[in-house]
Amino acid sequence: MGVRRRTGVFYLRVNPILCDGFGHCHELAPELVNMDEWGYPIIEKEPTPLSNLAALESARYAVRGCPRQALRIERVSES
Amino acid sequence: MQAQALPRLLFGNPGTPLTLGQHEATFASSYRAASLLDELEASGLTGRGGAAFPTARKARLLRDQRGHNKVVVVNAMEGEPVSYKDSTLLGTNPHLVLDGAAILASIIGAKDVIICVSRDNPTAVGHVQRALDERQRVGARGPDFKLETAPWRYVAGEESALVHWLDDNESLPQYRPQRPSILKIRHHAVLLDNVETCANVGLIGRFGAAWFRTLGTAVSSGSLLVTVTGALERAKVLEILPGMTLRAILNVADADADPRALLLGGYGGSWLDAVHLDTPYDNESLTPLGASVGAGIIVVLGREGCGVVETQRVVKWMANESARQCGPCAFGLPALSDDLVELSTGSRASASAFTRLEHRCGVIDGRGACHHPDGVVRLVRSALRVFEQDFRSHARGAPCDGSRSQKYFVNVPKLEREHELIWE
Amino acid sequence: MIALTTPYLWYTTRATGLVALVLFTCVVALGTFVANRVGGTVVGRFEINELHRSISIVAMVFLVLHVTTTVIDAYAPTGLLSAIIPLTSDYRRVGVAVGAVALDLMLAVWISSLLKIRIKNASWRFIHWFSWLAFASAILHAYLTGTDTKSGLGLAVVAACALCVLAAALWRYFARPTRAAGRTALSPLAAAKGPGPSAPRVASPNAAASIPRSPPSATRGVDTRGNATSFPRGPSPRTEKKRR
Repeated sequence: MGVRRRTGVFYLRVNPILCDGFGHCHELAPELVNMDEWGYPIIEKEPTPLSNLAALESARYAVRGCPRQALRIERVSES
Repeated sequence: MQAQALPRLLFGNPGTPLTLGQHEATFASSYRAASLLDELEASGLTGRGGAAFPTARKARLLRDQRGHNKVVVVNAMEGEPVSYKDSTLLGTNPHLVLDGAAILASIIGAKDVIICVSRDNPTAVGHVQRALDERQRVGARGPDFKLETAPWRYVAGEESALVHWLDDNESLPQYRPQRPSILKIRHHAVLLDNVETCANVGLIGRFGAAWFRTLGTAVSSGSLLVTVTGALERAKVLEILPGMTLRAILNVADADADPRALLLGGYGGSWLDAVHLDTPYDNESLTPLGASVGAGIIVVLGREGCGVVETQRVVKWMANESARQCGPCAFGLPALSDDLVELSTGSRASASAFTRLEHRCGVIDGRGACHHPDGVVRLVRSALRVFEQDFRSHARGAPCDGSRSQKYFVNVPKLEREHELIWE
Repeated sequence: MIALTTPYLWYTTRATGLVALVLFTCVVALGTFVANRVGGTVVGRFEINELHRSISIVAMVFLVLHVTTTVIDAYAPTGLLSAIIPLTSDYRRVGVAVGAVALDLMLAVWISSLLKIRIKNASWRFIHWFSWLAFASAILHAYLTGTDTKSGLGLAVVAACALCVLAAALWRYFARPTRAAGRTALSPLAAAKGPGPSAPRVASPNAAASIPRSPPSATRGVDTRGNATSFPRGPSPRTEKKRR
């Protein structure tokens, strides 16, 4: 796969139309996703550094686990 | 027309639109612009649909898009129930709008123009249809015009919802994470502009940017159409200049000279306390006060009215107008509405409702695909600011007298069906 | 075509078929648990989702074994073609046909799920609904084709699976959440009042274009009598109007 750059940040983005409030993202990535009173995700708006591997892994699990495929990881590399 | 000041857009008799011949005679001009796009840029025209985005920048972006079959869409849906400027404009000068749309089409290289009018406004539909028929009879050159009538809902005038309706027959706002995002019908790029913006483009095309800039401020050039409703005898659509104070506008409109507050920008706008009546009506002056021009809407709240009740009525209707696609909007807006109902009646639950209100605003803001919930949150937050004393007394269980009188200043449409949503 | 003549192939066919049926019963039940948002306190919702995905892989393995052993078995002459295309088998035509239908649908569901990230979610959901039909076909296939399933323990197993899935289907329908009423118990706001009676039920977006929509009661146009608006102009439209 080659060496992945670990500089830069990522955002976890949700498509609010696809999201149906299953709540799997909150279980899989609790450090990035909180829940509102109706069961919908409140996602951390601040970017997370890519060097935070635990958070990145949680985010990946959340993206994979979402039943509606509503999540995406948006990488912003340092330029 | 060279020394003409106002009116520019509303030149004529609303209700009896100028025929093509009258239009050509009135707006005859020998001015020929070298580059229409540069002319547009020099004029500093900003969008009149609410967002005030520079029209030339949008046109340039669309011109630089690849693709043969670009489309220009003229948005005459006028989703805001307290706005009548677009239908008035279509009833006064539809050919000016068509001119502007043709100019935009030539700038971006589009062959088709679609004019979208609300199906529930048959007068305006008739005006546009007649104007199009006139053009066809005369055999006017230019792009192919098409009239489409979408069903009227609040979000049906939102640009992605309108384009989606043209594409897929459903007025559902779309999720557009990419900025800048290009609207598309199938895969054809779309330039969407408000009716008033197109009319201004038509004027710029005929008389040039320098003439256009003779009126208005340095930053907000040109004239503005404003709908004034509320504490006045008859709703009025005025063509005013940005920079005119709110007090002067109310004076011209024959509205209550001593209101309690003004609702600026529509149902998704903000309240403004009447102490600021001497503020100039343009975005530079209003933004520091937490308000904006929006789609040129002013609702005047009289002293006998209650801001809490008016806000509650608006939010209840707006909650029903949600497309129910996104959870925070589908569930959050009815929750805000319920809290406001508790507050306006001054029931026992109103104290907790008051504390919940600001918290819920923070939770709902910015979490929808479109800006419908953001607008409602903006309205509620501005109400909490402007009517703070009233809210506190309501929360204590002592609603003001204004809340008990059945006299309402904000014209809110009747809720058709509370819990059902039928989209076409 | 490979055709072996050992009876053990036929035993394997029957055994793997039954095991696959039982496993798919679990998969369908877990699927309904995911859709009805079971979990959040003791068991995580994502865990149920993962179980659903993992067991479906095991079930697919047994299904593939079942089909392979059938195809290469000379005793019951069913070629690869009849395993995929219905009504092309000489042996127990209808039973094998129903099995072929079940296999085709399951392959569609499985492949669409493998490619879930790449296809539109709406397309994936559309195909996934056919898993119910696939299971129904599998039950029919088990009864019509099965050697063991006509009586005794085999019949009991098939009947139990069918009843389980029927119960799951009914529960799936009657206990379905109002549009995303999901609340995880882990949320600090979980104790707050839920959507309540104001939670809107979304009618299908494509429903009833024929339902008459009354025009909004807001007045369109300038004033209710349709009179001309009054706006600032003097006796002649060409008068200078300074508005500062």
